Amino acid sequence: MAKASYNEARMTPVATHNQSVRQAHVSVQPSVPLYSYVDYFGTTVTAFDIQDLHTILEVEARSTVESRAAILERPINWGQIRDERLVDTYSEYLGATARTQLSHEALANAAAWPGQLDLHECARAVGDFVRTRVQYVPGATTVSSTAEEAWSRGEGVCQDITHITIGLLRTLGIPARYVSGYLYPSSDSDIGDVVAGQSHAWVEYFSGVWTGWDPTNGVGETENHIIVGRGRDYDDVAPLKGIYQGPSSSSLGVSVEMSRIV
Amino acid sequence: MCSVALMGMIFEDDSSGAWNEMFEAPGKPRPIYERLFAEIDRFDPAELLQRSDQLSHTFLDRGVTFAHSGEERPFPLDLMPRLLGAIEWDLLERGISQRVRALEAFLGDVYGAGQVFEDGVIPKSVVTTSSHFCRAAHSIEPPNGVRITVAGIDLVRDEIGKFRILEDNVRIPSGVSYVIENRRAMTQTFSALFSNHRVHPVDSYPARLLAALRLAAPYGIGDPVVVVLSPGVYNAAYFEHVLLARMMGIELVEGRDLVCRSNHVFMRMTNGERPVHVIYRRVDDDWLDPLQFRPDSVIGVAGLVNAARAGNVALANALGNGVADDKLVYTYVPDFIRFYLGEEPLIENVETFRLEDPDVLGEVLQSLDAYVLKPVDGSGGKGIVIGPQADEQTLTSVRDAIIMSPRNWIAQRPVALSTHPTLVDEQVSPRHVDLRPFAVSGGQGVWVLPGGLTRVALGAGELVVNSSRGGGSKDTWVLNDQLVAPRGPATDVGQPPRNAGVIPRQNDEYTDQEAEQ
Repeated sequence: MAKASYNEARMTPVATHNQSVRQAHVSVQPSVPLYSYVDYFGTTVTAFDIQDLHTILEVEARSTVESRAAILERPINWGQIRDERLVDTYSEYLGATARTQLSHEALANAAAWPGQLDLHECARAVGDFVRTRVQYVPGATTVSSTAEEAWSRGEGVCQDITHITIGLLRTLGIPARYVSGYLYPSSDSDIGDVVAGQSHAWVEYFSGVWTGWDPTNGVGETENHIIVGRGRDYDDVAPLKGIYQGPSSSSLGVSVEMSRIV
Repeated sequence: MCSVALMGMIFEDDSSGAWNEMFEAPGKPRPIYERLFAEIDRFDPAELLQRSDQLSHTFLDRGVTFAHSGEERPFPLDLMPRLLGAIEWDLLERGISQRVRALEAFLGDVYGAGQVFEDGVIPKSVVTTSSHFCRAAHSIEPPNGVRITVAGIDLVRDEIGKFRILEDNVRIPSGVSYVIENRRAMTQTFSALFSNHRVHPVDSYPARLLAALRLAAPYGIGDPVVVVLSPGVYNAAYFEHVLLARMMGIELVEGRDLVCRSNHVFMRMTNGERPVHVIYRRVDDDWLDPLQFRPDSVIGVAGLVNAARAGNVALANALGNGVADDKLVYTYVPDFIRFYLGEEPLIENVETFRLEDPDVLGEVLQSLDAYVLKPVDGSGGKGIVIGPQADEQTLTSVRDAIIMSPRNWIAQRPVALSTHPTLVDEQVSPRHVDLRPFAVSGGQGVWVLPGGLTRVALGAGELVVNSSRGGGSKDTWVLNDQLVAPRGPATDVGQPPRNAGVIPRQNDEYTDQEAEQ
């Protein structure tokens, strides 16, 4: 039970070249005034506070998004990616954060890749490598785990696999950022069928343009990937963060429901 | 060279090689000090010592203290005032105002359009790697456009008498309470000295600050409620928070006294709640809002950042100003002055080396003992290594720290800070001093408090003057002598005019009215 709580939700899909947002609505129970702004990373934030005693906080984000698969652009070369001006512009996506920092052991294999591969091939190779070394095991880690913890454990969820992949790409000098979003599980469902989707995380790396890669599934950014926001790591795009006064008894549940409408 | 006997006291020779603020040669005071020197000479030494005691008692009685190494201590006030002539002050005033205007433009740009990066004036990575760069401050527009309501710009005078900027403090600079209290104590204890000097008063500071804070109010608020937000009694500068709140006649609050609701801020009072429009906050960014920054902060106010973003409350100083205090960013400030203002800097920086350049780094590492090494985000003199005075072990550990992260260090040419005769152990000895003038802005130009805080390092040869390092202070007098034409040609600050401080008139009484402009 909370006496007062202050919260920020990052659940509204962002408009991109391949994704247009037809409608987006966030609602909160108990009902309170909502304030929305766009943060440093371009993510729409819904902020609100609840002053009355409340035992349940429900945040519902409902959006209608038109999306299409990204077309892979020809990558710039290794010389260009190391251009001084480019490195400066994207420096926030080249440095390690506490979440993406990796040990030397994890990095040992990475050094060999840039030689033979172009940027796209390299990003895939890194993602594939991480997927072979870190098993996707739901519940193996927590929302606050670091890349290093998941790496040592050899298990993790999409958030961890993404953090590790980002850590490796940055070490190779490829700007990489964390994408928070939703994944529509299958393109085969009928129009109007409500299916269980999931909160998902993947990577965007810079190859002349920002290019998506989903290392957990070994695929690019398809029309099933709905982008909410990007940041240096999970902490910049956490779907819900908040603080409250009261005994610590909170349990958090998330469900994602998706349906095709065309 | 011999020591000078004055008032039966010995003025110890200044062999530091530094610029002596008072004497141009042993026994020969600079013109601006002649009157003071003669005046003090009339005192009996025993009486002078007694007055010095009296000064420290005044401070203890009024509770003017500073927490030093966890211990509450009086901040010692030296009885020898530091004097600045009108012509020299004029240049300092313009130079500080220029600096603050450039930093203001830079902060607006950093948290807005980022033109300074587009034009390659400063690498973006320098800003984004600064520990005080605050992404939560992005696109928060202060209603009056002012992010730096209060600035404290630290100056030192080098060996040839030229003032230089040592560092910028545009987060929550402290020390102005000592300026006010020093003057109060000096006028009580040495009223005779003031009767023959026309000294710019400093007591208008609280009114100036309050006016600037009121100008920061959200749109449409005609009669804003302004408060001082303090971390509480355990803060080293708590005395100052109390003093300023009292002198401005506004509430002193702590985090638990404020509450945000739907982006409006209220103050809890015994008889209910009252809206708050402007917060002069003396709480660091990191602790200000547990929703945005440290969730464990109990001295902040949850929701405050979004209340400011929504434009319902103004924070002074603004969020994220610390990026301008970063000592690597400091090295670019002269370029900001050219870029944003189209002017040449009136006061130069101390010569500083950026260690991210491998060639420069190599050179500095080769002779570490020839530089002053500073962590870029330190304050209060913390972590500074004075190469020429450091032992082998200190140099080795600073070398490791620099190699580990060159971004987090700068190297500076050692400046022998100017010295000023100072009463230490019943003797007058040269001690190194700096100067922190305070600038206040409400969006209608920058006002600089005449003088500022002269801090003095009480150990012989000690170069770090911060109060948090156990230093003392001096009352700083800006002489209102512009009516007097200097006998020599007016020159720039590099060569202080020899005669600028001479005041031929004998019986002018010091009053607030005549000096206040």
